[in-house]
Amino acid sequence: MQAKANALSQGFIRCHDCGYLVKTVNQPSSCPRCDSPLHARHPHSLQRTTALLLSSFLLYIPANIFPIMIVNQFGVGEPNTIAGGIVELIDSGMIPIGLLVLVASILVPSSKLIGISLLLLCAHFRWQVNARRWTTMYRVIAFVGRWSMLDIFMISILVDLVNFNGVQIIAGPAATAFAAVVILTMFAAENFDPRLLWDNQQNL
Amino acid sequence: MNITHYDACPECDLLLNPNTASVGEKAHCPRCGLLLSRPSKRSVERTFALSIAGFILFFPANLLPMVGITMMGNANTGVLYSGVVALFNNGMIAVAAVVFLASILFPLVHIILSLLISGHLYFNSPNRYLAHWMRWMHHLDEWVMLEVYMLSIIVACVKLMSLAKLEFGWGLYAFIALIVITTLLTGNLDNDLFWQRIHQLSNRNNNAS
Repeated sequence: MQAKANALSQGFIRCHDCGYLVKTVNQPSSCPRCDSPLHARHPHSLQRTTALLLSSFLLYIPANIFPIMIVNQFGVGEPNTIAGGIVELIDSGMIPIGLLVLVASILVPSSKLIGISLLLLCAHFRWQVNARRWTTMYRVIAFVGRWSMLDIFMISILVDLVNFNGVQIIAGPAATAFAAVVILTMFAAENFDPRLLWDNQQNL
Repeated sequence: MNITHYDACPECDLLLNPNTASVGEKAHCPRCGLLLSRPSKRSVERTFALSIAGFILFFPANLLPMVGITMMGNANTGVLYSGVVALFNNGMIAVAAVVFLASILFPLVHIILSLLISGHLYFNSPNRYLAHWMRWMHHLDEWVMLEVYMLSIIVACVKLMSLAKLEFGWGLYAFIALIVITTLLTGNLDNDLFWQRIHQLSNRNNNAS
């Protein structure tokens, strides 16, 4: 066996669902072990990821401009944007929690959007890069994505708990946009095939 | 036919010799560093036991009150699903659906699937849906967000702490236990082993019939 060979170039396809290695000679369309459709690489990986990424970029704007929740105190509504909520937490001395929310709802989504864009550019323009480092970046992006749901869950808890005659918290329009951003970027990361980064490297 | 003596890395497609990591060892891809496998001891038995425990805990975690709040003389309690109801009543239907799926439905389906799969493997009883279940569970993995929900409970409580009096209920303790169980479950579930066993079972079934 050659030292550093791609499975595909040696005539094998790895089943995406169960990990079974199938010979491509017979051109099988589905995995003999788990029956899921076989693809050498995720089908239309770059197109799908780009489409999902563009939608999340667009939704990211309303998610940050509009209030994510509104605190109603005795009839007076005080809208809170994502950034406003963090500033409020830090102002009231809850710095660690403020930083946590800052990371989960601002740093993670924005660096995810930038990171996936870079991965797409790298795969599309066949940049010669340290593929191992870029794969690690992909792994980090795929791992942290779900933690951005923190804000959405928190709103659902606050809306439920703070529901009194005098004081009420209601969810704002940005909540829908933000949830959509998180979910779309998760799908985008799922659709990106890191093996494309390796396929493009000429000297490994 | 189709028996190959190689393996491939799922993230960089490096052709590998079949992984021979034994219990307690970790196998990493030499090229991209991906954790390929981390076999665990008695994976099927442990997964089965943990799935049963998780399934049982799911009900108190969902039905018992988690957090009680007292503010200006008024009291209110929160259950896992009441957040979904509150969002729905707010008119935020999409957000309510997402919260419902990620914190209630997907965790439940995930536990039921792992219970079904590990139960069938434990009792060596073949079922033609085993491969389907295994695939669904694999796809659901990322969408089970119990630990994220736990962190939001903490953040929400810290936010409310200065404004109101909070009390923690049995639902919260059951929920924490459920998170511990699901974390152990994912750590103990040996994907390669499960797929091999499913394959063996279906082959044996095909040969017998």
